[in-house]
Amino acid sequence: MTVTIQIDGRPVQVPEGITVAAALVSTGQWAFRRHAVSNQPRGPFCGMGVCFECELTVDGRPEVRACLTVVREGIQIQTTPRASATGPDTPGGGHD
Amino acid sequence: MTDRYDVLVVGGGPAGLSAALTAAEAGLRVAIVDEHEQLGGQYFKRRHPALVARHGDYRAEGTRLIAAAHQAGTVCLTGHLVWGVDDDGTTLLVTGADGVPRRLSASYIVLATGAYERVLPFPGWHLPGVTTAGFALHLATMDRVPIGQRVLLAGSGPFLLPVACALVEVGAQVVAVVEANRPYLPRPGVAARAARHPARLRELAGYLLTLARHRVPVWQGTYVQAADGVDRVQRVTLAGRHSRTLEVDALAVGFGFRPSSELAGLLGCAVQPDPATGDIRPVVDEWGRSSRPDVYVVGEAAGVAGVHMARTRGEAAALDIAQRAGRPVSAARRRRVTARLRRLAAFAALTEVLYPLPLHLVAGVPDGTEVCRCEQVTAGEIRAAASFAGNGLNATKGLSRAGMGLCQGRECGTAVSCLVRTVNPHAPVETFSPRIPVRPVPATTVSALWGQPPVPEVLDVSVQAQVLNLFQDLRERLGLTILFIAHDLAVVRHLCDRVAVMRSGEIVEIADSDRLYEHPTHEYTRSLLAAVPIPDPTRGRAASRNHHTLQAGDG
Repeated sequence: MTVTIQIDGRPVQVPEGITVAAALVSTGQWAFRRHAVSNQPRGPFCGMGVCFECELTVDGRPEVRACLTVVREGIQIQTTPRASATGPDTPGGGHD
Repeated sequence: MTDRYDVLVVGGGPAGLSAALTAAEAGLRVAIVDEHEQLGGQYFKRRHPALVARHGDYRAEGTRLIAAAHQAGTVCLTGHLVWGVDDDGTTLLVTGADGVPRRLSASYIVLATGAYERVLPFPGWHLPGVTTAGFALHLATMDRVPIGQRVLLAGSGPFLLPVACALVEVGAQVVAVVEANRPYLPRPGVAARAARHPARLRELAGYLLTLARHRVPVWQGTYVQAADGVDRVQRVTLAGRHSRTLEVDALAVGFGFRPSSELAGLLGCAVQPDPATGDIRPVVDEWGRSSRPDVYVVGEAAGVAGVHMARTRGEAAALDIAQRAGRPVSAARRRRVTARLRRLAAFAALTEVLYPLPLHLVAGVPDGTEVCRCEQVTAGEIRAAASFAGNGLNATKGLSRAGMGLCQGRECGTAVSCLVRTVNPHAPVETFSPRIPVRPVPATTVSALWGQPPVPEVLDVSVQAQVLNLFQDLRERLGLTILFIAHDLAVVRHLCDRVAVMRSGEIVEIADSDRLYEHPTHEYTRSLLAAVPIPDPTRGRAASRNHHTLQAGDG
């Protein structure tokens, strides 16, 4: 059984039940994110949730560890980092 | 709200499952808490049902152990992250699968937190395509995905061999297994010791035969000097007995494992350093009892010794707890467990002899090597900080930022500690001090648990000044943009280039700092500025009263 997922807007068929990290690696995509300071490309490293190198955006939720997340039909995976300082702001945060 | 149990087991791997099963079978009320969605830990990691249907179960022994623990009545809190210890020193702070924080306590706590895989840094180890050996194994066995087409395995330890075999099985070409030590050479004394563990020897021989059949060379006395490539590892340079440059598309590295001892440290259990590795391990007796009578440490967290030892240690701790709780434990069973523990300890000691951690590789890395991946701190910066900081590992961390990133020093800890001791040979063997939270959690989690703001509002003025200077320093060094939220307008002017004034959740005025302070246009901004306390003793009282009035009315 396979599921269809979107990697940076591109539909890809992958086996059901594999992790998001495995899905990207199996399609040859190794750069999951860019380092926040140097912009260096980074990919999955420890595979057990410790190193945080494999963080990416899944269905709009940022900072999801790809090695701990299983693919689901139709999920949207975004490897490019969130644009800095242009994200939606929450008005009325309550601070004076 | 605090949930209370007889026995609380932290970690659902082989050791934790064995402890929970044994304690539950003795009639105790047991909960097992694990960060992951499935029990099993790393060794008994569960395949997704869809993959089990296609490829069969993986390590079915784990499936049976998990089922037995369930059946014995263990409460299984999966998806629950233990990230701290409450002020009473015994209650664990936990975030549930639903994101809701909760407290857990028990008469006995069993820490079965496992181990981290160790990678020693080299130039280029941050490149995509360079991973731990464990990740290569998980991809091959759980997901059935080869990590690359041409893979090099490097490091040291018996673990590299099953990883290489698993890669071959999923169709990857393993270019070589590169072992920094020379364990697979006949040596009379060692051979005699090894002969006492025939089952382990058969296992090892099986791996070596599989690799030989697939023409995978095992190069001993060899190590990775550097990896390079554009946006991904493409070449690896080896040094030592088989020095050469290889084209690869993945490089998996592992130098064994080190105990995850943060929770033991936070709970105040005595720990001891291991000078050969720089690791800290909790001090425990044969039954896993730590220096705290109500806290046990079992499995790899008590010292890395493999799955059989992990399971036996888990069982031993649970038997000891059962007996102390007044449940019958047969003397014969205690004797059997003790005998097994001693045999397995002898095997673990042999492994340490065969695969000593080659810390000289860290001591020799070039200054430009990125050692802390998260904060991008180089070996040279760490050496400089260490020579300035004297003996302290944690002082070096403070000066260099090495170990301050999201992984909290778990990936670079061994290397930073080694570099500090290379610069200061008399420095004590230590690890980064464990801090709450031991894993990153949202500030809202912390705040919800205590019902107060995540940051203490009352800081000593000198500490405030240090924090502000740190902000400025970071901004300059890293080119950061900082959103600074504060009441103190003098501090805001000192720190900020641009200021937005908020009132009741709405921005009423936004401008560059100088313009806002010299020419405020909004009435509220003007009233705020008028209320800034002026350090003049003759005027202080009036200014202070004015300030308080504003806070009460508009805060």
